[in-house]
Amino acid sequence: MTILFSRVVSRISGTPKKTFFNCPQLCQALVFGTSCRSPTDSTPKDKVDPFSLVAHEMSLVSKRLRSSVVAKVPELASAAGYFFKEGVEGKRTCSVVLLLMATAVDIHRPESPFCCIGDTWTIELRRRQQLIAEITEMIHVASLIHDDVLDDADTRRGIGSLSFVVGNKLAVLAGDFLLFRALRTLASLKNTEVVSLLVTAIENLVTGETMQMAATIEQRCSMEYYMQKTYYKTASLISNSCKAIALLSGQTPGVAKLAFEYGKNLGLAYQFIDDILDFTGSSASLGKGSLSDIRLGIITAPILFATEEFPQLHAVIEQGFDDPANVDTALEYLRKSRGIQRTRELATKHASLAAAAIDSLPESCSMDVRKSRQALINLTQILTARNK
Amino acid sequence: MLFCRGFSRISRNPRTILLGFILSRPTGPSQSLLSNQYLNSTLKVCAGRETFSWSLPAFLGIGRQIHHQSSSIIEEQLDPFSLVADELSLLAKRLRSMVVAEVPKLASAAEYFFKLGVEGKRFRPTVLLLMATALNVHIPEPTAGGVGDTLTTDLRTRQQSIAEITEMIHVASLLHDDVLDDADKRRGIGSLNAVMGNKLAVLAGDFLLSRACVSLAALKNTEVVSLIATVVEHLVTGETMQMTTSSEQRCSMEYYMQKTYYKTASLISNSCKAIALLAGQTAEVAMLAFEYGKHLGLAFQLIDDVLDFTGTSASLGKGSLSDIQHGIVTAPILFAMEEFPQLHAIVYQGFDNPENVDIALEYLGKSDGIQRTRELAMKHANLAAAAIESLPESNDEQVRKSRRALVDLTQRVIMRNK
Repeated sequence: MTILFSRVVSRISGTPKKTFFNCPQLCQALVFGTSCRSPTDSTPKDKVDPFSLVAHEMSLVSKRLRSSVVAKVPELASAAGYFFKEGVEGKRTCSVVLLLMATAVDIHRPESPFCCIGDTWTIELRRRQQLIAEITEMIHVASLIHDDVLDDADTRRGIGSLSFVVGNKLAVLAGDFLLFRALRTLASLKNTEVVSLLVTAIENLVTGETMQMAATIEQRCSMEYYMQKTYYKTASLISNSCKAIALLSGQTPGVAKLAFEYGKNLGLAYQFIDDILDFTGSSASLGKGSLSDIRLGIITAPILFATEEFPQLHAVIEQGFDDPANVDTALEYLRKSRGIQRTRELATKHASLAAAAIDSLPESCSMDVRKSRQALINLTQILTARNK
Repeated sequence: MLFCRGFSRISRNPRTILLGFILSRPTGPSQSLLSNQYLNSTLKVCAGRETFSWSLPAFLGIGRQIHHQSSSIIEEQLDPFSLVADELSLLAKRLRSMVVAEVPKLASAAEYFFKLGVEGKRFRPTVLLLMATALNVHIPEPTAGGVGDTLTTDLRTRQQSIAEITEMIHVASLLHDDVLDDADKRRGIGSLNAVMGNKLAVLAGDFLLSRACVSLAALKNTEVVSLIATVVEHLVTGETMQMTTSSEQRCSMEYYMQKTYYKTASLISNSCKAIALLAGQTAEVAMLAFEYGKHLGLAFQLIDDVLDFTGTSASLGKGSLSDIQHGIVTAPILFAMEEFPQLHAIVYQGFDNPENVDIALEYLGKSDGIQRTRELAMKHANLAAAAIESLPESNDEQVRKSRRALVDLTQRVIMRNK
């Protein structure tokens, strides 16, 4: 009873008591896998690297993810776990964002990095937030697997796509399995609002894919349609999981909304740069990218902007891009237009909106919180500056 | 005349009436419990596979046309399906309107399965609605105007939602189970149309699954979410078990029963349990509901296995034989293998060679395989009935009626010969 009371008191006052562990540093190391930091950190702002800030925690999350994707049937287990193997996990940007966000929205974290971590409640909360990261990864990978089936893709993340390796059927089933394993894990958090958020993301993913596959010519040429589809396919998952992170730690709706806005704008910015890179690749010049979007008939922002300047492009789009001559024609128009430039501006705009959302968060004195927020802001720059 | 009451409930489509006496099983390797008709010429998801709708009369058996008259209410015959027929059609309407996507193409693909009159009797939702009443949550009495039921109870609506969700999941699993493998494509079996249908099948299945998730989340009950999420894992596990069996596993009764539970019984058992949980029932009652669903599902599948060999006749080899032709070894053969170990060798060889099918049938005929499978089905049917009998007593007439109907169903499941 006294323990409960003291815990309540400490929550209200914002200073968690060291009820569980004697050594907060040990505890911190256990939970976050980080080593202790000095009270005053003089790292310059731009050197706060988002990925390394949470690197240790990420490896914990990845390990747990790997061990949770188990199944009775070996073929199913290996298919479902295919993209979680070491080396194939991708940058896991989404998880990095979520872990950073978890700290960034911890408004009431005290100033000193030492005394806050010993609390059981805090550990449990962090574990739950890490679970959101795991769940989000599972949902993300499940949708990738199905997308590859639908696109007849042979490769993904530098290796064979799952459908290429095990066939379409097992790939589809593995995707279903992952999705509902994620749902089950989600349910275990016993928070119906969080469940609703991520289920909305799941629904949006399917809607987005459907919008892409079944669009009429008119829709494919519409910037509005494209923005909506992009939100559904790319930004919805990260925006809703950011919001979930905030809700789990009991933040206000205002804070939750800001987390959502960050995720949404970051996701959109990311996709626009992706669109550009598909044309330019790592070079600055056109046509050096993989051109996979346009070859699949997927019309992205650069082309949409170009079509505004050169309506003739409409006719080419209508003909389709099975004929490589049409691809060349489109590239020519794109080159003449400001399509790439305008897309870059759009990406920058959304990156700024994301950063602004972080800046709007309620002030915090905690070094950890400030660092995480800076990392999130730096991430918006990193993603828009990348050339691959 | 015997079946006219049943017929009045289904559309007067001549084809349906013709099919009314036929219980056709899918010709594909499906172990699904009462597949809905879903062959769609625009989908062409699976080369040559057809399913037919199940019709009430064929299922009902003979001689159950007793009418009671009491006071001003005409009691329905104790026909499990007609007890919930009106509610079911309401459900179907709701389901159809729920399956409204932003993209018309997809909506029509998914909606096909839920079209009234096409989807057959919808065995599963019937069980679930009866279970909801049996567990003491019943529909308000219909108004004097008659047909328009006012299903205003919030709890009832939530339980109906479970029925809708299970149907969406069931159909989605049918769609995904039928996705072609690359092997088929490479061999040139998949025409362009089939391949396109392939993708549409994947997408339509995803669409249904995501809608099911949304409906699940809307129930605001994380335990139910967990239950139903487990079901999909089981469906996938069961299907992959079937896809990847080793020869040794194919000869194992234990493996077969596990696979059957995953593929067929898990959906009903867990949704029955969900019904109970939504009604705020105790863990014991929830377990009984689960047990009912599980044993009913198993009994159903075992009889399905028998009928695949016997068809509507009592004699062997008159059924569609689709299981064995697809190399799926079911209970009758497994039992036969216990008596005739020589059958092992045939099973190992596989059944691409039709001669092996004949040999297997021979052994089956000599063995007690069919009989023992029927007995096993009976055992599970009785266990299902026992679960209902073990429910806490109730004086409510509606509740007792529903419970009787559920027990009745266990008999009909095993008595059917088509």
